[in-house]
Amino acid sequence: MSVEATPAAPITATGTHPRNHDGQAIAITVFSTIKLPGRVFLPVLFAVTRRFPKLTATLRQLSFIHFARWCLIGRLPYNGPPQKKGRFRYPHMYFESNFNGGWEEYIDAFSHILTNGMTAFWGTSYGFPKPLPTAPFKKYIQANETEADHYYSAYPEATSTMIQRALELDAKLAPLKRDASRMSPEEFRSAYRAFITDAQNAL
Amino acid sequence: MADPNVSGQARAFMAMTPVKPGEEKPLAEYLRGLRSRGPSPLAKLPRTHMGRFVIVPDFHNDPTWNQRHEEHLDLNYLIFTSNLDGDIDSYLDELCDKLAPEAKEIWGRCVGCPDSASGHALKTYLKHNQIKSGIFFSAYGQATVAKVKESLRRREQVIAFAIRAQGMGPEELQQAFVAEFGSTG
Repeated sequence: MSVEATPAAPITATGTHPRNHDGQAIAITVFSTIKLPGRVFLPVLFAVTRRFPKLTATLRQLSFIHFARWCLIGRLPYNGPPQKKGRFRYPHMYFESNFNGGWEEYIDAFSHILTNGMTAFWGTSYGFPKPLPTAPFKKYIQANETEADHYYSAYPEATSTMIQRALELDAKLAPLKRDASRMSPEEFRSAYRAFITDAQNAL
Repeated sequence: MADPNVSGQARAFMAMTPVKPGEEKPLAEYLRGLRSRGPSPLAKLPRTHMGRFVIVPDFHNDPTWNQRHEEHLDLNYLIFTSNLDGDIDSYLDELCDKLAPEAKEIWGRCVGCPDSASGHALKTYLKHNQIKSGIFFSAYGQATVAKVKESLRRREQVIAFAIRAQGMGPEELQQAFVAEFGSTG
């Protein structure tokens, strides 16, 4: 018996199933089947990316991502029958992301900003149509995506940008809090104004 | 070499467990119904930033993709992933303790899960089925859940204060600020 896909999945304004949401946070879960060269290439790519995290710097530019991960799965741990033992014929790449905004916008941004990175990561996957144009790529992701059965965010109303700004603001507020009572009122007013000006983008 | 499950202080955990034949639908119904029964059980784990349960029925095979052989999963698999604070070991201790009632309904429906579905036995089971990340990315990996929530609250507080403080004189402003935010000096 297999879990059935919900037939009339209500697609929300964000372009994905409601079960993939918790407030602003959206889950994407994708498996792709890897061609022979990917068995060698992807572990090297992962290792190089961890060592020289240029890709993750670009991911940071996509300010709507909270967390993301890629895993390469060649075999699954064995737990006894009726599970079958052994390696998969092909390795499979698991990708998940936790982001905010819209599903379509997310894929668009990924395709346009991470064009080379996407080709590197999915280029050895069967059926991968290249990141651009985005329509075939979206179709590919949809075909390989599995909806979450339960999704949770500890701060569902916050976007990734809000969080990064709040953390930045907190860091800027700390010295003012530390020195506030040591200053004269005039000194404090100047320091407060400087803080508000400096922190404007974080508010 | 950097630990692939680590980004800042954040860790990635993933377990993929085979669902017992016949238990696919009850498990899906249970997981999909969690929201209607109250807060997510993952809210009981205050170190969880974001987590998910996903039942994967099969791999996608498309004849137009020139894949020489189709590949299918032998069973449905349950994926549990969490983006968490601190070390995975102590997180799993918390999970296996605080989520014991739910764990019976979730991993208790998976092949090889110990009957108790709790405590050390469940932790061993989850670790046995752990899938290591290739790459794990966190946009704010240095911040714990508590820090994120506190910063979000403070941001609201600063915005409200900035509006309220407009037009205050220097002395009043300083006193109001210290009263609002305290002073560590």
